[in-house]
Amino acid sequence: MNAGEGESSATTPLQLRGLEARSRLVLEAGLTRIDAHTRSRLNQARQAAVAAAARPSYLARIFGSLTSRALMPATGAAAAAVLVAAFMLSGGHHLTSSVADNNPASALDVLDLVTDDDAMNLMEENDSSFYEWAAAQGDNPGQGAAQGAGGETT
Amino acid sequence: MSAFATLAPPYNMPATSRGGTLLNDTAEARSRALNQFLKSVELKAYKIAQAGLRHQDDALDAVQDAMLQLARAYANRPEEEWKPLFYRILENRIRDMQRRRTVRGRVMAWLPFRRDEDDEDLDPIAQAPSQDVPPVARLEIDEAMRALDAALEELPNRQREAFLLRNLEGLDVAQTAQAMGCSEGSVKTHYFRALQALRVKLGEFEL
Repeated sequence: MNAGEGESSATTPLQLRGLEARSRLVLEAGLTRIDAHTRSRLNQARQAAVAAAARPSYLARIFGSLTSRALMPATGAAAAAVLVAAFMLSGGHHLTSSVADNNPASALDVLDLVTDDDAMNLMEENDSSFYEWAAAQGDNPGQGAAQGAGGETT
Repeated sequence: MSAFATLAPPYNMPATSRGGTLLNDTAEARSRALNQFLKSVELKAYKIAQAGLRHQDDALDAVQDAMLQLARAYANRPEEEWKPLFYRILENRIRDMQRRRTVRGRVMAWLPFRRDEDDEDLDPIAQAPSQDVPPVARLEIDEAMRALDAALEELPNRQREAFLLRNLEGLDVAQTAQAMGCSEGSVKTHYFRALQALRVKLGEFEL
């Protein structure tokens, strides 16, 4: 379901930044309304987790010292051998043969674009507002929000 | 006197006390840092889990599991990695519980007599909000929260995840991508879609 279909042309990056800022305020207000019972249970869960981190697991107690002292050199050597074998079997030249391989991040993005329904929908719709918004958007959602919220009080 | 005797620890001092103290200090500092981190994320994590699961106990279970798993498996990782790792674990847990609930719903549908878990009596004192807010402001906040909750409920899971991780938790694109297990481009798409959908749904509330 794409709820925003057909409405994108009416939505400007400024409006979206305003929405971001206002919804953040509402969400943060919601945090202060979490009841005492829930807070107490979260507190208990946190204490249990911190206590669990302080004591090593049963398996770690048994194998920890053995692995670190006796098996570490052998494990390291075996891992190195496997890596070298894999490299030689695959043929080193293949690793630099494609443009995508030179830039793993862009390869991942391309793969994601191809497999992601939302992205395909955006491409098919030629939704220019997304690109306007993306250009105006920094890495942090709050970057432009303050300007947007200030200029667009509804 | 033998050479060994000169290496003996001072009187009344246990042999491992100096090294042990160092180790204890490190472990204690780590525990404090972990406690501080979990405290900083627990309410937001609960809100995110509740938005995904729409059930208080399930949301608490999901957060508790995520805390435990982070503590057991990743407490020794650098602290800056904790947040995306924690939310990755939490999102996985939420998805697992959503899947399990779907299966359980199918099975329960076959049973003629079943008691709804939501029918359990709730303690009104325990359910009371923790902070005093003026009644009028509370009503306005309540209305806005209800509208936003309802709008979030209708969002597809991935859009809701991206929206809450970025807007409530304040993760950047890279951290959100790590938490959601997808690319940064995909995060931007999901987030933009969520904003557009919320704009349409919440337009009348001027939220």
